[in-house]
Amino acid sequence: MGESEKDTAALAYINRLAKQLAPSADVVKKNLKRNDNVVHLLYLKSVVDMMQLQEVIVKPFYGNSAEQDFAEYVQSLPYETQMPTGDEEVLTEITKGNVLVMIDKQITLLELKMVLANTVQAAEMEPTIHGPQLGLSESIETNINLIRQRYHQPSLMIETMQLDEASNRTVALLYDREKVRPELLEEIKLRINNLDVELVQGSADLQYYLNNSKYTLLPKTLLSGRPDRLLHNVTGGKVIIMVDGSPHGIIAPVVFFDFMLSMEDNYHSFWIVSAIRLLRYAGIIICTMLPSVYVGITSYNPDIFKTELALTVAASRIGVPYPSFIEVFLMLLFIELLTEASIRLPEKVSSTATTVGGLILGTAAVEAALVSNVMVIVISLVAISTFVIPINEMSYAIRVCRFLLLLYTTSFGLAGLVLGMIGLVMYLVNLNSFGEPFLRVAWKDRHEELKADDQ
Amino acid sequence: MRSHSIFIIKIVLVFFLMTGVLLQTGCAFKDIDKTLFVVAIAIDPVENNEERYKVTLKVSLPFGAIKEAEKPSYAYLSNEGDSIGECIRMLETYADKVLEFGQMKTILVHELLMTDHLKDFMDYFMRRGDVQLIAFVAGASPSAEEIIKVEPETEAPASVSLFNFFGGTGTESPFITTTYLFQFRRDFFSDGINPVLPLIETNEEQTELRINNAIVIDQHKEPIKLDNQETKYYNSLVKGASGFSYKEIKGDFQLLLNISRIKMDYQIIAENDEPQSIEMNVKMVGTIGESNQPLSLKKLDEYNQMASNTTEKIISKFLKKMQEHEVDPFGFGLRYRATRLERDGQIDKWNRAYPDLDVHVNVDVKLQGAGTIE
Repeated sequence: MGESEKDTAALAYINRLAKQLAPSADVVKKNLKRNDNVVHLLYLKSVVDMMQLQEVIVKPFYGNSAEQDFAEYVQSLPYETQMPTGDEEVLTEITKGNVLVMIDKQITLLELKMVLANTVQAAEMEPTIHGPQLGLSESIETNINLIRQRYHQPSLMIETMQLDEASNRTVALLYDREKVRPELLEEIKLRINNLDVELVQGSADLQYYLNNSKYTLLPKTLLSGRPDRLLHNVTGGKVIIMVDGSPHGIIAPVVFFDFMLSMEDNYHSFWIVSAIRLLRYAGIIICTMLPSVYVGITSYNPDIFKTELALTVAASRIGVPYPSFIEVFLMLLFIELLTEASIRLPEKVSSTATTVGGLILGTAAVEAALVSNVMVIVISLVAISTFVIPINEMSYAIRVCRFLLLLYTTSFGLAGLVLGMIGLVMYLVNLNSFGEPFLRVAWKDRHEELKADDQ
Repeated sequence: MRSHSIFIIKIVLVFFLMTGVLLQTGCAFKDIDKTLFVVAIAIDPVENNEERYKVTLKVSLPFGAIKEAEKPSYAYLSNEGDSIGECIRMLETYADKVLEFGQMKTILVHELLMTDHLKDFMDYFMRRGDVQLIAFVAGASPSAEEIIKVEPETEAPASVSLFNFFGGTGTESPFITTTYLFQFRRDFFSDGINPVLPLIETNEEQTELRINNAIVIDQHKEPIKLDNQETKYYNSLVKGASGFSYKEIKGDFQLLLNISRIKMDYQIIAENDEPQSIEMNVKMVGTIGESNQPLSLKKLDEYNQMASNTTEKIISKFLKKMQEHEVDPFGFGLRYRATRLERDGQIDKWNRAYPDLDVHVNVDVKLQGAGTIE
């Protein structure tokens, strides 16, 4: 009698769980019966791999001789997940793709999930010519697998955590135990545990929430979809935060110069890399300062130009109705619109947008004497050099910076530009990413610096 | 969330207010198209009045398509006044745009003003912040106004001939002396050196500029004009300008040397602080460019000797002439002062001794080839 009571209690439990999931169409509560043996299954069919379920549970059940054996068989399966306490947690596990198997009173959770997003994608965000061509996938298991396969070290630690929000996302921290700074790890864990947000959709918004301050301009962590970049940073003692469902890892902490590094740099010889980096820094300087320099020189200090250039610029501005700063401002706005539009549009249409916008509008604007043609050159140069910055987030931040510099220069001339640049550097110096100064040059590590201090 | 939106509203408000403030500048915001670039300035004396000057500005006019323009276009503004500053102030009322002196790189001065007057002009240019000290200073003949108005046929749009002549920007010739404003002022006020200015002339049709003479200026004397040979030797020796051809004649045998390198150094020999003589060594390296007789490589030493002798004579003559006129474009006196402890009357002692000082010139010509293959 006691036996059957327990049976009913267990049945009641499974019914209760089913009821809580109830209105969903994909809830399946199934009983497998053979002779007297009954197995209850509860799962969501949308996240469970049916073929596997068939192979692992259904077939053996009808093939096996005795029920006792089957219960043991289920327990011995490698798919088993730790049984959590509490209904909520169990339900969460079920929504993740676990199958609840009940044989008599023995309840087991088997992970037979099906993730459709585990195909490895091409690394589109940061393409390289010589480096690996594939990036990460949208499934965290696949991603961890990818990382492990590229870094065969027992010291590579993978810690998973669960976010306390609507999606209950798994977050994994990857780091090299021997290289990471323990305080950094603590800090990151603390921030993740203290998150108070409604929904995390992927790495990008988690990164924003981890920032710890609401109004930031420059990114304080780096988002990358390249396994080689992630590992490059792991070997540097950094921590990678991976979010389930996102093909990007968050690298923390970062310094400014990390954003100027392309993975391509690791695959070329020294002088080539040096030249390319020089080009990249030239690009960042051009795209921040050139619009302001144009305004400063044409409106405040035309004597800086060579005579020929001064005359050419003056000639090109003949008939342009607005002062140079409005001209620059409008053109910058125009180029931002163009960039933004070509990102949002489907690939096939975006090339049309850029052609129409860049070529036709640009030429027409000059023909109509609305802007000077030197201005068009300046703006195109600025737009192109923005794309030289390897990390997208940084180039967004830089795009905002140049508007601020433009404002300063418009008000105070070239002196204002210098002032604005000093302000920008001061701001950068003041920033820190997880305790690491943002403008820190990779010269010596802190211990060595401190040691040098003592001497 | 509330404070968040308030913050955003504040930011947006501040942004719009600031943009609004910027827009208030309207047309008062002076752009490059509201400026006129003065590229050269000419200073002339006014007839029958020693105290008044006539200032002419050469203003380069930008217009539409510079590439399609056949000739550069200039405007000339001129005015008379008691001082340069006054003239320029008045000239500002003659044009609708701001006169921008930042690109003004040539100052032309009439021959007749190459005396004490120079002090007044220079003072103005030095004080005026936007005039560059690397501006070229030149003398002009017959008048600065005529020279400044010459628009040479070789001049391209958006490039100014008067700049290209100097500083090796365009043509490079040992006949052209380049003197910058800062250098001119320094030499003008220093004891023991006299500044040398190029003299710009033109042809009758006023279609070209000719710069192959120079003027040595002394604060207290009339300027001394150097002919083009003297100018060439001055530039070769002092500025190291390598000339293309130096003519050497011995009887009816004529050689034209292409000198690629000239180096001059000298020593002032003094006894008990009394300057005795100057030993000058000149080294010239080059090849033979032209000859009226067949040459042989074996006789190279002979040619060297011959060239040295002729050149020595020319240089000695040139130096003698300078001594006779009591001017010192080479800066011997400055060297004398610089290498000795300063004491009272030193420069007077030098000035007394200079006209009669013995100058020994030793020229060492090294020809690298006869220019022929045997």
